[in-house]
Amino acid sequence: MLQKKICLLGAFGVGKTSLVRRYVSSVFSDAYLTTVGVKVEKKLMTVGTQEIALILWDIAGEDEVSAVRVSYLRGAAAFLLVVDGTRPETLETAESIQARVFKEVGRIPFFVLLNKADLEHEWTIPAARMDALASAGWTFRRTSAKTGDGVEAAFEDLAALFAK
Amino acid sequence: MSLAATNAAPAAEEPGKRLAGLLLELARCVDPTVAATLPSRLEADPRLEAMRGVLFEREQAALTRLQRKFDDPHEFAAAVSAVLPAAFALAAQHGDTLGPAIAPSFERAAQASIRKDPQTMVDILYPVMGPAIRKSIAEALEGTLQSLNQSLKHSLSWRGLKWRMEAWRSGAPFSDVVLSHTTVFRVEHLFLIHRNTSLLLSHVASEDATTRDPQVVSAMLSAIQDFVRDSFDESAEGGLSGRSIDSLRLGDLLLWCEEGPSAVLTAVIHGSPPAALRTRMAETLAAIHDESRTALDAFEGETAPFDNAEQRLRSCLLSQASSDERRRVSPLMWAVPLALLLALGWWIGQRVVEGQRVDAYVAALREEPGIVVMGAERQDGKWLVSGLRDPLAMQPEALLAKTDLPPERIAERWEAYQALHPAIVLKRLRATLNPPPTVSLTLQGGGIRGDGSAPPHWIDKAKAFVQALPAGAPKVDLADLKDVQDPDYIRLRDAIEAHVIPFEHNAPRPAADQSGTLDTVAAQVRELVREARSLGFSVRVTIVGHADASGKDASNLALSLGRAEVVRSMLRARGVDPALLAVRGAGPLEPLKSSASATASANANADELSLNRRVSFAVSTSD
Repeated sequence: MLQKKICLLGAFGVGKTSLVRRYVSSVFSDAYLTTVGVKVEKKLMTVGTQEIALILWDIAGEDEVSAVRVSYLRGAAAFLLVVDGTRPETLETAESIQARVFKEVGRIPFFVLLNKADLEHEWTIPAARMDALASAGWTFRRTSAKTGDGVEAAFEDLAALFAK
Repeated sequence: MSLAATNAAPAAEEPGKRLAGLLLELARCVDPTVAATLPSRLEADPRLEAMRGVLFEREQAALTRLQRKFDDPHEFAAAVSAVLPAAFALAAQHGDTLGPAIAPSFERAAQASIRKDPQTMVDILYPVMGPAIRKSIAEALEGTLQSLNQSLKHSLSWRGLKWRMEAWRSGAPFSDVVLSHTTVFRVEHLFLIHRNTSLLLSHVASEDATTRDPQVVSAMLSAIQDFVRDSFDESAEGGLSGRSIDSLRLGDLLLWCEEGPSAVLTAVIHGSPPAALRTRMAETLAAIHDESRTALDAFEGETAPFDNAEQRLRSCLLSQASSDERRRVSPLMWAVPLALLLALGWWIGQRVVEGQRVDAYVAALREEPGIVVMGAERQDGKWLVSGLRDPLAMQPEALLAKTDLPPERIAERWEAYQALHPAIVLKRLRATLNPPPTVSLTLQGGGIRGDGSAPPHWIDKAKAFVQALPAGAPKVDLADLKDVQDPDYIRLRDAIEAHVIPFEHNAPRPAADQSGTLDTVAAQVRELVREARSLGFSVRVTIVGHADASGKDASNLALSLGRAEVVRSMLRARGVDPALLAVRGAGPLEPLKSSASATASANANADELSLNRRVSFAVSTSD
């Protein structure tokens, strides 16, 4: 069995937890997020004939007061950065988080999930900014926690990164 | 090859000879030993030497440089030092031969260093040794405390004695025997977790143990470890360097974490495991590290290389069921305290009951007239009852016999006194006066009343006694007692007093015919004395002598006394106790009443005179 530790990161209230809720097998209550600051879930994927267990560390959202605990990032194979399309400041937080993760665990692959795709008409993130980031190596994916669009695909792509 | 060429050389023709010479030269260049044993052709042909100088000039310079490097120790050392780190790294990659090869040198170096200056080694080891010693001491202490607790808990019980026997037989320390019997625990899960990625390497569970997804649980365990470390351990510099949770307890559930350099072994245990389990975990983890060091270092999520670790983990799935003995409580264990409790209860009960009985006895004593209880207390395991007691009061032994108190439990000390309680006074009257059956003495309104009849002498005696009673004594009323004499006594008294012994004129002795009368009187007096004695008093018979009025009074008096004395001696001769006989001479002073005195005739006067010459008897009682 191949296992990979994946961190789910993003600013506070971007919808990380709701994004993955229906795609993962969850054991612990959300209370852990507010107490311990992390909640571990598992997503089983099959790529070809290989089974991969993605151990998702849903790490409490970052805001002005609480920064992400760097010790939770240790050993991660990849991470998902969740950004709320309707709140541009969450992209800035994502940038800061990404920089910190790279510093902490090295240049590991990551996807940026632009959440709230169902509210695309309300998006306020400038396209130029996104293009700039994309050219810097950021991979953006549109997802919607509400409709579930793009979430499974993001996991599949993630699993494909690790399949041999 | 060079030897073959040498052997082939003499057999060759002229061109062959030349070729052989050339080959020999080559051989000399390649193998220095050949150069030493074979003569050089160069000496024969100097052109060759010149040609070599031209052809190999550059190589010769390089060779010379190399030669110098090898020959000069400083240069050679410099060259080797440049490649040494890379060489070590390569050697380590090729296998585990480097370590054993250089280990002796390192040991010698370390020894030399310590001999030279131990402080250096102390400084080097200090950061390692401090925590190691602390950990080791803590674990040893924990183990000792655990066994000490158990030992203390069990050293005094019946089971404890049995285990002590077992320890003595087997030669094992007592605490070990206790642990082996008492520790009840079960290792339910073992998680082998990769330290860096928090991914589960291997997981084993005991039968019928359930858990959530172990992969998720192991990650969460690591997260909580990190959380605690980050939150409370100020020394943690993030990540792997800090201390970690050693154990976590949640009610009956215990989590033990044993940390290795690359992996953590976490056990989920129900109950209280012995310290030996900890040792087993540490050994297992060390063995896994030993076995899979490379795989652990290179781990990137593939758990296949750790499939055989499962077998090792199983050795830690220890459990100790509670022994049957533990569940089945020995009846003796209950019987002993129960018996003690019963004995205590019985003893207390006895004391209480005895106390109550003593109280009742004392109360009965207090009720009894003539007994004053001053105290009743326990003394030397007995009850001592003391006070005052009138000798006529009831015997305390009689009262004691009515209670259930064993007589040997009671000691008594009574001072004698005279009570004035009416009942005791009554007893005293009875004891002293010995009243005849016709007398009834009863208590009445705080006093004593006498009823019935009694002989006068008894009544006199009783009255005298009552008079002598101390002031404040109950009133004794004897006024209603009737004075009644015994009929036999009265008959005898009257019969005796009726007798008169007549005398002749001026004769001191009675006439001879009076002997029969005297016999009768003597018999009657004897009977009277007996009778009176039987009634409880004594009698006195006074013999009164009389004389007639003729002649002088003085001589008459003497005559009358003489007559009485004569009769007394005559009665005495007839068996009457003289002590009971009194005599009195009345002279002519007590003449018998006669009608003659009234008529005053001569005959009558003569009769009167004759009648007065006599001895009469008077009976009186005396005490």
